[in-house]
Parts: sequence; structure tokens; C-alpha cells
Amino acid sequence: SGVAKQDITAPLPSALATARIIDDLGSVSYPDGILSPKIELNENAQPGKFRYDRDFLLQFMSICKEKPDSLPALDAIGIEPSEQNFSLSRGGSGR
Amino acid sequence: QVVDMQAQAEGIKTVFSDPTNFNVKHPLYSPWTLWFDSPATKGRNLPQTPMSAFPPTPGVTTPGAAATGGWMDDIKRVISFDSVEEFWGLYNNIVPPSQLPQKANYYLFKEGIIPAWEDEANKNGGKWSIQLPKDKNRGNVDRMWLYTMLAAIGETFDPHLTQGDVANPPQSLITGVIVSTRPQFYRLSIWTRLAPNGGDEEAALRTRIEGVGRHFKGTVLGYTEAQKLSGPLATEVEFLSHKDSEKKGKGAKKIVV
Repeated sequence: SGVAKQDITAPLPSALATARIIDDLGSVSYPDGILSPKIELNENAQPGKFRYDRDFLLQFMSICKEKPDSLPALDAIGIEPSEQNFSLSRGGSGR
Repeated sequence: QVVDMQAQAEGIKTVFSDPTNFNVKHPLYSPWTLWFDSPATKGRNLPQTPMSAFPPTPGVTTPGAAATGGWMDDIKRVISFDSVEEFWGLYNNIVPPSQLPQKANYYLFKEGIIPAWEDEANKNGGKWSIQLPKDKNRGNVDRMWLYTMLAAIGETFDPHLTQGDVANPPQSLITGVIVSTRPQFYRLSIWTRLAPNGGDEEAALRTRIEGVGRHFKGTVLGYTEAQKLSGPLATEVEFLSHKDSEKKGKGAKKIVV
């Protein structure tokens, strides 16, 4: 494949960066035990313009864990977990 | 089984069949942008600023933040994404609402729409919101926010397309969703592009808006249709147009589901 021809010093692009967009949901089959998106949500859908039900979307939660390349350092934009809530969740008695 | 082999022959690999070397991803109906603010982002010259730190998206015009009278200055653009897989990568690497400091907000809006009343897409709209007492909902708010985001990015707040809509799909009513943490409560909101103003000719819009509210209360938040929610620090699931919000209650016409 094309990947093998790349300069070995360059980091391999993530699957996310190189994966192509599904434009026909009907062309995709899922492994046993994985729910397909609800059909009725995508009747008359245009290519690549899909709606997804919650049960379908939740199936990705435990699989897609990789931090996106474009996510900035959270503390650099002020997103920091509250100390107070951490101590509460570690068995503090609250107030 | 036959279909599986065919898909394999065509080389289609989703994240479910190969979590590291998948080659297709699930596009979202719209690209989305997550924004954040808190007391920690205010008045600080943080390295990432909303409009300048990211290259503009071709074909999308973001209205000038200047029009918002400084409101956008302290709101930080976190990330934009356009696939289900990218959403979960973000979700699994960011701080959930229950762990945010007080007075923080996440704003998840369609790309190109800034989370302000002044945006063209919001100025004629309104919001469904609910306020929940913090002490009783610390264990619920993360799930409620997740389900709110999933209904937004999955585009299930809008009615299904009918055959007649195919050539010219109706514009989505949803512009964004917000979670806010305050000392005593959480607030979840869904912003809409339009708001009914009471005229008879707007019955269809009112029906659509009420549909959004019922979906929010029932499917997303998990309450029953008849459940009464208001109480100390709590509100019902209520709709208010942004114009009425600006009037600070005078003559405001709330819709409650």
C-alpha cells in the first residue's frame, strides 16, 4: 500500500487522518453484535449526510480513545479539572 | 457472513473490525466546533484564541466576533470535528462537566456559528433549557451532557426527511448545545435557529420547536412526559426566544414541555 512507500522518518498518519468518509451506509457491514445505524433515520439520506441514533453512537465510546491530533493542551486553554470535585469524588464528606 | 466477506474483499474496515487500521469513518451530518470558557479563560492571554489560532475553514464564514461586544473574547475554541470517530476521541480526552470548575461552559455549535445571540444563525432563535440542582445531579450531569451532544451530532432533534424533502432538505433547527456549571446548579441548553413569536401562521414552527423540547426532556434527559421538574434551584424544560431573554422576563412567553 501507499503507506509502505513513505519516508520512514515521518510519523505514520493516524488511521483517523487517512480513513475516507463513508458515503453509502449500505456499503458497510458491521461485525456480529454491533448495531447498524437505525434505518429509518437515513431513509432518503443524501450521500455522506447521515443521522445516527444514540445506541449506535455509544458503541464507539470504548473503541475511539485516541487523543485527536488537533486537540490543544487542555490546561493551555483553561480546561482544568476542579480540585474540589476531585477531593469529593475520592470519598470526601462533601460540605 | 456473505456480506462480511464481500466487504472484506472491497477492503472496507470500520473501527469495529480494526480499531487501529480502519480505513473508513462515519461522517457527521454537519461539522461541529467545541468552545469553552471559565473564570480561568477570562482576561488571560492564553496561547489559543478563538479566531486567530486556527486556519479559517474554506467556504465557511464565521461572523466577526467583534459584533458580540467582547462576549467572544474569553471564549476559547477547543476543536472542530466532522466524524463520529473524532467526536469520541475528543470525548475520551476532555474534562467532563462534573469535574469542571464553577462558572464554566462548554458550547458545542455547528461549525461557522459562534455561540452568541448575535450570530446570524442565532439572532432569530431561542433555546430550550433546564436547570438542575448541583448536589442532586453531580452523578447525572455527565450522562445528560453526553446524551445531549449525541442527539445534536446525530441530528436526531430534527424530524426525519420525507421523500419530498430529498431535493431540498429543510434546514436543521439546531445551532448548538451548551452545558454550564454554576455554584448551585447545572444548566443544559439547546439553541434553535428560529423561535415562534406567537402568530397563527407559525403553528408549524411551534410544533417543530415543541418536538425538540419533548425529545430533549424524554429521550435525552430521561424524564417522563408528565414529570414535573421545577423546585428549589430547578426549572422545567423551558423554551425562551433570545429576544425575550434580552428583555429579562418582561412579557416573555415561555413554552414548557
